Amino acid sequence: MDSALIPDGVKRCSFGKFALGIIIAGGVLLWGVYAMLLIWLKGLNQTNMNDYYGFALWIWADLGVIALGGGAFFIGLLRYVIGKDELKNIINYAVLIGFICYSSALLILAIDVGQPLRSWFIFWHANIHSMLTEVAFCLSCYFAVLTIEYIPLILENRQINKVPFFHNLAHNMHEVMVIFAATGAFLSFFHQGSLGGTPAVLYGRPFAFREGVFIWPWTFFLFTWSAAAYGPCFTLFVTRLTEKITGKKLVKQNVIDLLAKISGWMMGTYIIAKIIDTWYWATVTATASGFNLIDFYSNNPFYGIWILIAEIVVCGIVPALILLTPKGRSNSTLLFTAVLLACIGVLLNRWVMVLQVMAAPVMTFENWVMYIPSWQEVATTILPVAYGVILVMISFRYLPIFPQERELNS
Amino acid sequence: MNIGRRSFLSFVIGGAAGTAITPLPWKLIDDSSIWSQNWPWTPVPPDGEYSQVNSVCTLCPGGCGITLRKVDDRVVKIEGMKGHPINDGGLCLMGLSGLQLLYGPTRVKTPLKRVGKRGEGKWEKISWDEAISEVTKKLADIRSNGESHAVGSIVDSESGTVPNLFKRFLTAYGSPNFMTMPSIQDTYGMTLQLMQGVSAQAGFDAENADFILSFGSGIIDGWGSPVRMFKANSAWKANGKKVVQIEPRLSNTAAKSDKWIPIKPGTEAVLALGLANVIITNSLDSKKISRSTGFESFKKLVQNEYSIDKVSKITGINSATIVSLAKNFARASKPLAICGKGQGSIPGSLNEFMAVHALNALVGNINKEGGVWAVTETDYIKWPKLEMDSVAENGMQKERIDGAGSEYPHANSLLNRLAEVINSGDGSLEVIFVSGANPLYSMPDSKAMKTAFDSIPFVVSFSSYMDETADNADLILPNHVYLERYEDVPTLAGLSKPIVGLTRPVVKPQFDTKHVGDVVMLIAKALGGGMADAFPWESYEACLKETLGVKWDVLVEKGFEFNGDKCILEGDFNFYPEAMKSLSNFTPVSAEGSAISYPLILIPYDTIRLANGYIGDPPFAIKAVEDTVLKGKNSCVEINPKTGKELGLTEGRYASLLTPRGKAKVKVHLYEGIMPGIIALPRGLGHTAYDKYLAGKGCNFNELIGPAEDPVSGLDAAWGIRARLTKV
Amino acid sequence: MKEEGKHKKAKKYGMVINLDECTGCGACMVACMAENNVPFKEDESNKLDSIAWMRVYKLTNGKSYPEADICYLPRPCMHCEGEHGHSPCVSVCPATATDYNHETGIVSQIYTRCFGCRYCMAACPYHARYFNWWDPVWPEGSTKYLSPNVSPRMRGVVEKCSFCFHRYQLAMDKAFLEGRTVLEEDEYQTSCTQACPAGAITFGDLNNPEHKVHQLAKPDNKHGGRPGNPNVFRLLERLGTNPKVYYMSSREWVRQAGDNYLDNEDFAKNYRH
Repeated sequence: MDSALIPDGVKRCSFGKFALGIIIAGGVLLWGVYAMLLIWLKGLNQTNMNDYYGFALWIWADLGVIALGGGAFFIGLLRYVIGKDELKNIINYAVLIGFICYSSALLILAIDVGQPLRSWFIFWHANIHSMLTEVAFCLSCYFAVLTIEYIPLILENRQINKVPFFHNLAHNMHEVMVIFAATGAFLSFFHQGSLGGTPAVLYGRPFAFREGVFIWPWTFFLFTWSAAAYGPCFTLFVTRLTEKITGKKLVKQNVIDLLAKISGWMMGTYIIAKIIDTWYWATVTATASGFNLIDFYSNNPFYGIWILIAEIVVCGIVPALILLTPKGRSNSTLLFTAVLLACIGVLLNRWVMVLQVMAAPVMTFENWVMYIPSWQEVATTILPVAYGVILVMISFRYLPIFPQERELNS
Repeated sequence: MNIGRRSFLSFVIGGAAGTAITPLPWKLIDDSSIWSQNWPWTPVPPDGEYSQVNSVCTLCPGGCGITLRKVDDRVVKIEGMKGHPINDGGLCLMGLSGLQLLYGPTRVKTPLKRVGKRGEGKWEKISWDEAISEVTKKLADIRSNGESHAVGSIVDSESGTVPNLFKRFLTAYGSPNFMTMPSIQDTYGMTLQLMQGVSAQAGFDAENADFILSFGSGIIDGWGSPVRMFKANSAWKANGKKVVQIEPRLSNTAAKSDKWIPIKPGTEAVLALGLANVIITNSLDSKKISRSTGFESFKKLVQNEYSIDKVSKITGINSATIVSLAKNFARASKPLAICGKGQGSIPGSLNEFMAVHALNALVGNINKEGGVWAVTETDYIKWPKLEMDSVAENGMQKERIDGAGSEYPHANSLLNRLAEVINSGDGSLEVIFVSGANPLYSMPDSKAMKTAFDSIPFVVSFSSYMDETADNADLILPNHVYLERYEDVPTLAGLSKPIVGLTRPVVKPQFDTKHVGDVVMLIAKALGGGMADAFPWESYEACLKETLGVKWDVLVEKGFEFNGDKCILEGDFNFYPEAMKSLSNFTPVSAEGSAISYPLILIPYDTIRLANGYIGDPPFAIKAVEDTVLKGKNSCVEINPKTGKELGLTEGRYASLLTPRGKAKVKVHLYEGIMPGIIALPRGLGHTAYDKYLAGKGCNFNELIGPAEDPVSGLDAAWGIRARLTKV
Repeated sequence: MKEEGKHKKAKKYGMVINLDECTGCGACMVACMAENNVPFKEDESNKLDSIAWMRVYKLTNGKSYPEADICYLPRPCMHCEGEHGHSPCVSVCPATATDYNHETGIVSQIYTRCFGCRYCMAACPYHARYFNWWDPVWPEGSTKYLSPNVSPRMRGVVEKCSFCFHRYQLAMDKAFLEGRTVLEEDEYQTSCTQACPAGAITFGDLNNPEHKVHQLAKPDNKHGGRPGNPNVFRLLERLGTNPKVYYMSSREWVRQAGDNYLDNEDFAKNYRH
C-alpha cells in the first residue's frame, strides 16, 4: 500500500508487518513518554537519584549514545575529508545512527535538568570555564550539522525527490557535504573531548580527576579517540543487526572490512593510551590525593577490579586484536563479537566515568553509595532506543540508505 | 480553494519559519523561565518592620534566655539571648526550632470535646464557656459526693505559679493528689534532706570544678540545664580540666570526656562506695569531714563490704583503674561527682545518689567553690492563706493515691506508681488534669499508664499540642504556647545560682487558646464558694504581677533574675543516714526479666537531638537525628559487633526486640561503643501523636520498660530491662 | 595592577570549628535550617536526599570496644577558594549560577539562575550541595516563620550554605548608614556560629590578623591557606580545594580522618607540619 514510497528496486516487508513493528516499538516509546511527562510534571523526585548520585543513569546514557554515535563524525571524516571513498556505502547509516544518538542525547538532557524551562540559560549565562557549556554548544551545533547531513537523505525519498526543488537541494547539499563533514568532525572533537573533560576536571573527585595539557585533561583526548574508535563499531554492529533482521546483505564485505580495520587501529592505539593514562593516574595522580588504585575498587558490593579488567582487557584489547587481524575481520562471528565487545567496552568506560565517580567516597568517613535507577529512569532511557528503532525502520523502508543494497540483493 | 499537498507543506514550513523570526517564541521561552522562577506555590515571605524581643525558653527545664527576631507580627527566628547567665547566646536545637511548635500543624486550635472512642481522634470543637462548664459540672458532682480526693493532677514541676495554682486548686477542692513528672531532682532533693538535713536542691558549681566524675550523667546529652553544661564542658576543655565518664555505652559525653570507664549498668553505687573505700583507706579524705556524723559507720561499711576486689568483680572495672580513679579524684583540687543517668528523667536509685554524694563529702566539696551546693529557690509565691472548707479538709486528710508521704515518707510525688496502683485496683481516680506533661508517652511502661488512664472516667488535658495524652483525653483545654503567654519560669536544673525568668507573649495567640492559669481560675470561680475565694485575682496575668511584686518590673526589663540562695550547711554531714543501711548487704536494682528468656540487657540512651518529655521533636529537630538512630520508620538498636555476630545480626538488618514489657521492630546498628551483651535504644522516638513529621517513627522506649521502685524512696530506679533480640 | 590593590583589601571569611568542644548536639544544623528557610519533608532519615546546609558527621576511630572513640564533625559549605577562586563547583557550573566572590571569599548560589544540572554537586567532594528533588512544602501556617532575608527555593535547583551571606549584606548596609566601610568582627556572624551552645565555631576574616579565626588557624596564604596551627586541619587538604573551614582537634585520629593517606604514609611523621 505504501509501495510508491519505497525506493526503487528494493524489497521491503509487508506493510502489516512493518506496522506491527512500529506499534510494538511505539508502545515502548509511549511508556517512555509517559515516564518523561511524569518527570517533567512532578520533578526529578521520580528518579532514584539523590544528593550523592546527582549524575546517574541518564548522564551515562548520554555519554554512551554520544560515544556510540561517534561513528557519524568519524566515518564522515574518513569519507569526505580523508577520502576513503568506499565508506560512502555506509555513511548514510552512520549519519542516521548519529542523528538518532544525538537527538536522544539532547532529549535526555532536557529530562535530566531540574528546571527544563530554564535550560537555555546554559547559552544565555554561559560560563566559558565549564566543560558542560562547551558540551552544550558543540552538541547543539553538531546536532544541527547532523540534521543537515540527514536532510538530503530524506529528500532522496522517491516521492520527495520527484519535486525538482528538493531534488536539486539534495544534490547541492551532497556537493557541499565535505564542509559539513569537516565542521562535524571539528565540533565532535570538542564535544566528545569536553564530555571526557566533564568528569576529569572534577579535582575534588580523585577517582575521576585526570591531569592533562593546558586546559584539557587527558580524558578529553581519550574520549574523542574512543568515540572515533568505538563509534564505527556501533555502526557496524547496527548494520549487521539490520542485515540479520531484514535477511539482506546491505553493505559489501570490503567496506565492512575497511571500517573494521580502521576501528581496530584506532582501538588498539586508544587502549594503549588508556592503559598509560590509567597507569599514570593510579600511580601518580590518585596517590597524590592519598588513594591507592585498589581503594577505588574495594569495600563495596559492585565496583570490583573486574570492571577495570572488563573495560580494558575484555572489551578493549580483545576486540582490538580481533579487528586488527584479517582473519578476525573475515570471520563473521568473530567480527560480530568484536564489535559487540567494543560497544560494551565504551559503554562501560562511560559508566565508570559517571556512576563509579559518584559511588566512590572521598571523605574518609563516608561510605560507598549504591544506586538503582527507578523505573521512570529506565523508561526514559529506553525511550530513545524505541525512538531509534522507529526512525531506523521508517528510514530503512522509505529512504535509499544503503547504496549497495540493490546490487547485493538482485 | 483546493489545498494541495505542496501548498499545505509550504504553508506549514513557511508559517513555522515566519513565526520563528517574530519575537513570539522567544518571548514565550523567556516568560516560561520567569514563571519557573516565580512559581506561585513557592512562598515568598513578606518583608516588614524588624524588631527583637527577649523571653525565656520553656521547652525543657533548662531555662535559657531567648531573643526572638520579628518581622511585623511574625516571629521568624529564635536565637539564644546574649548575656543571659545560663546560655549567653547559645541555644540547643529544640529551642531553635520552637517556631515550628508555635506555627506548626500539631497545635490544638480550640477547646475540643471527644466524640468518638478515646484515642480515636474524633473531636468536636466547643466554646470555652462550654468547656469550662463541662469540667465544673463534673467537679461539682464529685465534690458533692464527698469524693473530692479522687481528682488528681499531673504537672511538669513543683515550682512556679502555674503548678502552684493547680496545687492550690486541688487543696481548696480537697484532693492531695497533686503529682509531678519525675526527675533526678526528686532523688537529689531527698539525698540532701537525708544527708544534710536541708530541704534544698543540689546546685553544681560545674564551671569551677577541675575534676568531674560523672556516673552516667549526660553532661553534653541534655543533663541539667543543657546549654549551661555545654558551656561548662567547653570551659573544661579550654582550661585542661578532667572529665571521667562512667557508663556502659560510649555516649557523646563519654566520647568527649578525658576517660571513659565502661561499667556494668546498675552497679554505679558499688563503684562509688569502692572509690570511697580507696579514699578513706589511703587517708585522702578531707579531715574536717572525717569527724562527721555516721562517718565511722560509713567507713566500716565501705571497708568491710566494698573491698576493691569485690567492687571490681561487681562493676567489671579492673582494680587498678578503680584505685587510680579514686586517687586522681581525691587529689584534684576541686573534684566534683555527679549522677543521674542521661538527661536525668529517671529519678534513679537513692542509694546510688547517696553514695555519690558521700564521695563529694569525702573530698570536702560540699558548699565549696567548684563543688555541690545545697540551693533553695526564693519562694516568691506568697499567696493569701487558703481557707479550706470541711470537704477540702476531709479530702486533704486522705492518703495520696501514689503513696507519697505515707508508704514512702520522703517522697512528694510518685507518679511512677500511679499506673500500678490503679491497674491493680488499689486506688482509683475520677478525674485527672494533665498540664505541661505527657505521661502517656513519657512514663515508663507507658502502655500500663494508658490502661490506668482508660479507667479514669474523665481526663482533661491542657496541652497546646495534640500529644499522646491529649489524644486520649475527654476534653482538651489548650494552653497558649510559651511564645504567646506570660509565665514565670523558675529554673533550678543543677544551677548553683537559681534563676527565675519570664516568658512573655511575643505574638498574640495564634488560635482560640487560653492560658492554663486563667482556665484553672475560671473553673474555681465557676465552682463558687471557698473555691472561688481561693483565687482572688481577676486573671492569671494579674495574679502573676501581684505574685512577682517588685520582681515583675525587673523581669519585664531584663527577662531574668537570680532567685535563690545557697544554704548554709546546718549541723554535720550525715554519712550514714538510716536509709543507707540497706547498703550493708548490697543488692543492686536489677533489670526486670529472666536471664534465660532474655539474654541481653537493654538500656536507654538520651541524645540532645531527641526530646523525650512533654515536647516532641519538631520537624527540624527530627531532621537532625542521625540515620544510625532513626531510619525510616524504625529505631536503630545499638549492638556491639561481637554480640551482633553471636546473634547473626548485621548492620541495617531488621530485628525483633522483646522485653518483659513489650516488643518492637528495630533496625540493627553495630556500634563498637557499647559493652557486649548490652543493647541500647534512644529515648524520644515512637510517638503515636503529634504530626506526620514525628508520629509513627521508631519505637517508644517507655513501652519496653517498666518502673522499678526504689525500696527506700519509692521513686523509679529502673536503668534497663532484660531483652531478647531476634532476626526478622 | 588594579586587581592587586583590590585583593589587598579583600576579605576571606572562614571558620574554625573546634572538634574538641563540638558536642554533636546538632544546634548548628537547626540554627541554619531556621535561618535559611530550609525545607523539610515527612521522612528525613535518608540522608542522601535530606537538605542540610550544615551537616554533622559522626566519625569513629575504627577501634573495638572499649577503645572505640567517636567525634562529631560539622560540615558547612567549605567555600573553597581552589586556586584564585577556581573552586571545584564554581568552575563547572555551566550557567554561572554559582560564583566565587573575591571580596568576601564566599561562594554564592543563585537559585533563579540555576537550572538544576547538578554538575556542581558532582564536583563537590564534601557533599555540601543539595538538590531540591521536591517542591518545598510547609505545613499550613508554618510559612509564617519564614524569614524574608532568604528566598525559599523552588523545586529543581541546587542550594547550599552561604555563610549566611544575607547577614553580611545587612551588616554592610548598617555600617554604610553609619558611615563605615569596615565591619567589626562580631557584626557579621553566621547563624550556626551564634547558636553553637558549646561555642565551638569561630567565624571571621581569615585575612585579618586581629580576627580570632586567623589567630586560631594561622593560615599560610602563600601555600593555599594551609593551617599553621599543628592541631588545625582542613578536610581533604590534599585535593587542593583550599577550603575556608578549618577544624581543630587534639586527637590525632580525628586529624588523620580529615584526609586520605596511603598505607605507607606515616601520618604522625609527615603531616603534623
